[in-house]
Amino acid sequence: MEKKLLVEDHIRRNKRQTIVICSFMAFLFIAVVLSIGYILFAGNIIIAMIFAIPIAVGYVFITYSISVQTVLSAAKARPANPNNREEKLFIYKVEEMAIAAGLTMPKVYVQDSDNINAFATGKKPEEAVICATTGALRKLKTDELEGVMAHEMSHIKNNDILIMTVTVAVVGAIALISELVFWSLFWGGGARGRKGEGNAIIIVLAIIFVILAPIFSRLTYLAISRKREYLADSNGAYLTRNPEGLAKALEKIKEDHPRSKPKGSKTVAPLYIANPFKRVSVNSIWATHPPIDERIKRLRSM
Amino acid sequence: MLLWIGIIIIIIVAFFLLIFWGYYNRIIRMENRIDNSWAQIDVQLKRRADLIPNLMETVKGYMKHEREVLENVTKARSALMTAKSHQENIDADNMLTGALKSLFAVAENYPDLKANQNFMQLQDELTHTEDKIAYSRQHFNDVTLAYNNIIETFPGLWFAKRMNRKTRDMLKIPEADRETPKVKF
Repeated sequence: MEKKLLVEDHIRRNKRQTIVICSFMAFLFIAVVLSIGYILFAGNIIIAMIFAIPIAVGYVFITYSISVQTVLSAAKARPANPNNREEKLFIYKVEEMAIAAGLTMPKVYVQDSDNINAFATGKKPEEAVICATTGALRKLKTDELEGVMAHEMSHIKNNDILIMTVTVAVVGAIALISELVFWSLFWGGGARGRKGEGNAIIIVLAIIFVILAPIFSRLTYLAISRKREYLADSNGAYLTRNPEGLAKALEKIKEDHPRSKPKGSKTVAPLYIANPFKRVSVNSIWATHPPIDERIKRLRSM
Repeated sequence: MLLWIGIIIIIIVAFFLLIFWGYYNRIIRMENRIDNSWAQIDVQLKRRADLIPNLMETVKGYMKHEREVLENVTKARSALMTAKSHQENIDADNMLTGALKSLFAVAENYPDLKANQNFMQLQDELTHTEDKIAYSRQHFNDVTLAYNNIIETFPGLWFAKRMNRKTRDMLKIPEADRETPKVKF
């Protein structure tokens, strides 16, 4: 009982922090769109919004609607083959974890790679996808694989797959807008010269803000990602009632020195159980995942 | 003045109706979730009972001198088939788990059997069904606990009383089982 309360406390705290971070992200997005208006139309925010909002929302929407295909093809994932015993047992594990979480069975994919890794994606829990590398299926023991699957299933249950997909799209949109502003100023001087209206100081500040916005949005996105990792760790431990399984799997991931180069796109790195591109051991605001040692420590303290 | 008092009363009544509506739906939804998760367990139990005859058929030719082990499996299966209450089902299933465990342990002495494709498949699938039962049982207890928490604490307590709802029983899971909910091979 005491053990369980502890896990639930972790979950509650993480949820609160995620709400704060997500609101900041939304605020940043709105602020960027408004600043654009101020810069391009020298103070005429209404015209700016008519111009900028459809583009921004459209971009987010398109990125969102093709996200699953993008992620799967970037990872070169293929559907798991039930005739191969290793992959059949993997499908079995996913099904068991789906039952434990009370979710519908996700689609199961496999990525041919020596690395130990796994990710979940999708737009909603009913249409989720779970993918593991062949390295993970080969190198992880039953309870370790189960821990990893429970972690991914928690990402699905907590709707992280949606949160991360949308934030990736928002970060992309902010980066795109920022770049457009930068180059339009570079080539034509933008709207500044066209009209004398609007406060010049505010316009300059707005420009600085828009150019810096991608950094803020990226940092926010990474902070969300790290929070969601801890949350999925503790939820996953709650599903299997066995934090040690995931802790041992993370230890194996830490010790693993794969020969093959990681595949996939860097933008989806936060979806994986551990960043496939680099292993960080220190707390860094630039990291997609919390340090692996800290995650193991927290799991073992549950 | 009278009008204002009327408005305030209407607001208060509407407020309570709204809360009652929310709690009513919540309690019904949770009950459905409990029933649904029991249905899940039931499907898995049936699936498991259906696999046993196949297993016996495969094993029979190899295990001529293990009558007791085989009998225990058959006995546990028929207990499972006739079980009525939730707890009876779970107890019979635990018995079956034990019987199968000793069958698979004995099977280690029969290399021919162990190499039999059919047997290997059945063993994988039975283990999988057993794990699924363990996890659906756990899920059942999770949703039952959430339901009990709602109707035993304020203000859910107050609504549950008016809806004539009582706490539901959780499934008792043997202590040893809880430690290792899955068979590893």
